[in-house]
Amino acid sequence: MDIAEDSPGKRVLLMGNEAIARGAIEGGVKVAASYPGTPASEIMETLAGVAQKLGFHAEWSTNEKVAFEVAAGGALTGVRALTSMKNAGLNWVMDMFMTLVYGGVRGGFVIVVGDDPDAHYSSNEQDTRFAAFYGEIPCLEPADQQEAKDMTRYAFELSEQLELPVFVRSITRICHASGDVELGAIQKLDRKPVFDKHWKIPYRWNVYGPPGPVEKHRWLHGQLPIAKKVVETLPWNKLELRGKPKIGIIASGIGASYAREALRKLKLDGKVAFLKIGTPTPLPEKMVTRLLKAVKTVLVVEEGDPLVELQTKALAKDVNCDVEIVGKLSGAMAPVGEINTDIVTSAIAKVAGIKLTEDKARELARAEISKLVAPRSSTLCPGCQHLGSYWALKQALRKVGANVPIVNGDIGCYEQGGYGIAGKVIKPSTSTGSVRYSIDSPYETLDTNYIMGGGVGLMQGEFHAGYKDGPIVAVAGDSTFFHACIPAVISAVYNKAKGLFLVMDNSWTAMTGHQPNPTTGVTATGEPAKVLRVEDVAKACGVEFIKTVDPFDLKATTAAIEEALKYDGFAIVVTRRLCTLQAQRQKKFVGKRMVVDQSKCTSCKLCVSLGCPAVTFKNNKGGVDPLLCNGCALCAQVCPTGALRAE
Amino acid sequence: MSETNLIIAGVGGQGSILASHIVATAAIRDGLRARVGETFGAAMRGGAVASHVRIGKDVSAPLVQKDGADIVLALEPLEGLRNAVKFLAKGGLLLTNTHAWIPTDVNIGRAEYPSMDSITKAVEKLSGKIVAIDATSLAQQQAGNVRTMNTVMLGALVGTGKLPISVETLKQVVKENVPPKTVDANLRAFELGFNTVQK
Repeated sequence: MDIAEDSPGKRVLLMGNEAIARGAIEGGVKVAASYPGTPASEIMETLAGVAQKLGFHAEWSTNEKVAFEVAAGGALTGVRALTSMKNAGLNWVMDMFMTLVYGGVRGGFVIVVGDDPDAHYSSNEQDTRFAAFYGEIPCLEPADQQEAKDMTRYAFELSEQLELPVFVRSITRICHASGDVELGAIQKLDRKPVFDKHWKIPYRWNVYGPPGPVEKHRWLHGQLPIAKKVVETLPWNKLELRGKPKIGIIASGIGASYAREALRKLKLDGKVAFLKIGTPTPLPEKMVTRLLKAVKTVLVVEEGDPLVELQTKALAKDVNCDVEIVGKLSGAMAPVGEINTDIVTSAIAKVAGIKLTEDKARELARAEISKLVAPRSSTLCPGCQHLGSYWALKQALRKVGANVPIVNGDIGCYEQGGYGIAGKVIKPSTSTGSVRYSIDSPYETLDTNYIMGGGVGLMQGEFHAGYKDGPIVAVAGDSTFFHACIPAVISAVYNKAKGLFLVMDNSWTAMTGHQPNPTTGVTATGEPAKVLRVEDVAKACGVEFIKTVDPFDLKATTAAIEEALKYDGFAIVVTRRLCTLQAQRQKKFVGKRMVVDQSKCTSCKLCVSLGCPAVTFKNNKGGVDPLLCNGCALCAQVCPTGALRAE
Repeated sequence: MSETNLIIAGVGGQGSILASHIVATAAIRDGLRARVGETFGAAMRGGAVASHVRIGKDVSAPLVQKDGADIVLALEPLEGLRNAVKFLAKGGLLLTNTHAWIPTDVNIGRAEYPSMDSITKAVEKLSGKIVAIDATSLAQQQAGNVRTMNTVMLGALVGTGKLPISVETLKQVVKENVPPKTVDANLRAFELGFNTVQK
C-alpha cells in the first residue's frame, strides 16, 4: 500500500514500524532523522520513501546522537520532528537527551525507541522506558499497531502542549509484527520555521544561559503535574472495574494484548478488574489508586523491567492500600526474556488459584522430538565477502605464528564471526593463562563483541595493558566506522597504540536491511551523495599504514593482513567489495559457474571451513548447492586439489 | 470464538514473510482482523524464519500460543518440524515443502538433518497430520521460477480449505504483492499448489 495515501477510515495491514511512520506522516512531521537499528529501521525506511513526495526531510544520520540532534534542531524552530532508533541507539543519545529536556522544544518532538526484550537482534534487553522516567518526559507505550500509529500522531500534540519531547516506546513484537490499522487523515501544517532565543524562558535553548540549569530543571519538573493530569484523560489508559472483583490486572503496552487473550483462555474475561496502561510514565495514578483500593491482589503485566510495578508499589504505600502486588519483582514472571500469552496465562492462573493441567505424555513426546530438530546457526550469506575477509585473517594469523590472538568484534553482519556454531558444545574454562582455541569456521573468529565501535577501543586497552601472547586485532564495518570508530582511531594514533584494525567495507548498512550510509553514494531518499572513503578518513586521522584490498582475492587480502600484523604501529586494512546481496540486486556482479569434480576431492573439508552456506558436504565429498551459490569462487580459491573450481 | 492460527516457517530468503503478509492482507480485505508476528534471526539469508499469522474477529497478540497452530506451513521441512514441535495443535496440519535447505551445522558435521520419515512420525506423535509436497520442483520445473515456491505453498494452503478467506481475494492479493514481471509465474505456482492438495 502507499503509506502516504490520504484515505482516512481505510483499514490496511501495517507493520508496527510502518504504523509509527504513518503516525508521523498524519502528524505532519517536517524533520525525521535516524540511524538503522533492528527492530526500528523500517520507521525511517518508510518515511524516507515518501519524504520527497510529501515535502519533509528524512535522513540516515551517521549515528543516533546526530540523528537526535538533527530532529531536535528542527523542533527548536517550531516544526514537528521525529527521531527513531533501537534500544542501544538511545545509549548514544543520552547526553543530549538528558539536557535537551531542560529547555524542552517548540515544535512537537517525538522520540521513538524500539526495545528488544529477548534480545532477538540486540546485545542487551534494556528497557528504555526508564530513560523517559529519568528524563522526566512522558512515555507512550502501544499495545498494537493501531495504537502505535495513533500514539505517534498524538505524541506531537502532547509534545507541543508540554513543550517537551515525548517518548514512544515500541518493542520487537510491535515493530516487527503487523496488524490491521485504520488510517487517519494526514495533517498538512506548512509551518514556517522560526527562532526566538528567549521564547517563554530566557535563553531557552542554551542550558547555561541564565537562569541556568537548576532553574531549567525546576521548570522541567513543573511540567510533570500537567502531564499527570493529561494521562488520566487519554483513551489508551482505561480502567474496567465492575462489581467486587478480588483480582486486578495492570497491563502496560503489549502486556495488555497478552493479558486480554490470557483472560479469555482462562474464562476470566470480565471477572477481574483490568487497567490497561498506555503511559507507563507518568502513570495514570488516579486510575491505579481506584484499582488498588478495589481489589486484594494486583498482577502487573509489562514487557521489559518492572517500571509500572515499582511505581504501583510506591503508590500503594502512598495511598495506604493493603493490597498484594505481584509481577516481575515478586517472581510471578521471569525478570529476563520476553513475555507472551502463555507466560501471562500461567501468571494469571496462579494468582487466581486455577490449576493448569499439563499433558505429560505430550511433553515427553515434545522433548523426544526436539532432539531431532537440528540447529540452524546464523551464518553469513552465500558468497558474502566477509567470508573472504575472515578466511584471509585466519590464514594471516597462522602465517605470523600467532599464539593467542585477540580479535575484537563489532556490530554488523560480520559480528556473526563470533556467533559460534550451535552444534558445538563449549565448556567454560578455568585457566589462569592465555588459551589458544582452534578456529574451525569463520563463526569462531571474534573473541570480544559488545557495541557499535567498541572493538577498536578495547584493542587499545589490551595493547596498553601489555598483552604479548598474540596479535591484537579489531574488526568493524563501513557504517560502524563512520558511526563510532573515528574518535577511537584518532585516540589510537595519538596515544601510540599498536595493532590491526580490519575494516570490512561493503558500502551498505547491510545487517539492518540495506540502508545507505556515507560510503554508499546515495541518501536515504535516493538522491546521489558524496562517497566518503574509510582510508581517506583514516589518513586524515594520522594513520600511516593503510591498505585496501578486494576480499574476493584471498591471496592479496591474506598478504595485506599479514603485512599489517607485522607492522610496528596502528595499521588499517580495508577489505572492500559491494555487499553480495546488493550486487545481486543491482546485477553488478555476475558470478562464475562453479564446477565440481568430486573425484579430485580428498575430503579435507577446507571448503567447509570457509563457512559459506552454499558449500555442501555429502557422502564425505565437498560440493556446492547450485540454488544458493552466487559464483564468488572463494571456495575454489580455498580448494587445494581443484575439486571445486570456477569455470 | 472462531480464529485461525497459522505459522509460516522457512529459511531467510524463501519468502515466508511475504506469504504471511499476503494471507493477512487478504483476511483484512475479507473483513477480518489479522496479526502477523515475525521471528527471525540476524541473517538476511539462511536464518530460521517463522511468521505467526492470526486471523479472526478478535485477535490481539502477535504470537500463536503453545499448541495453538491450526496449520504450520513449512517452506522448508526442518523449519516445519522446529515450529510444529512447539506450536502445532492436536489435530493440526503440517503442510510442508520437501526440499531441504541444509544448515551449516549439518554441513560441517555438528548436527544431523532429520529424514522426512522421522518428521512424519514426529507429527503423528504430536497428534497432527502431515501433507508434504515438492514445491521447489513444482516452482522450478512447472511454474518456471524457483522463487515462486512460496506461492506454490500458499496455493496448497488455500487448497486445504482451512482458511476463512476466499480464493479469489487471496489470488488478487498475490497479484498485487509479487513483482509485476512474475505475476503469471506466481499465478501458475498458486494453481499448482492448489491442485496438488485438492487431488
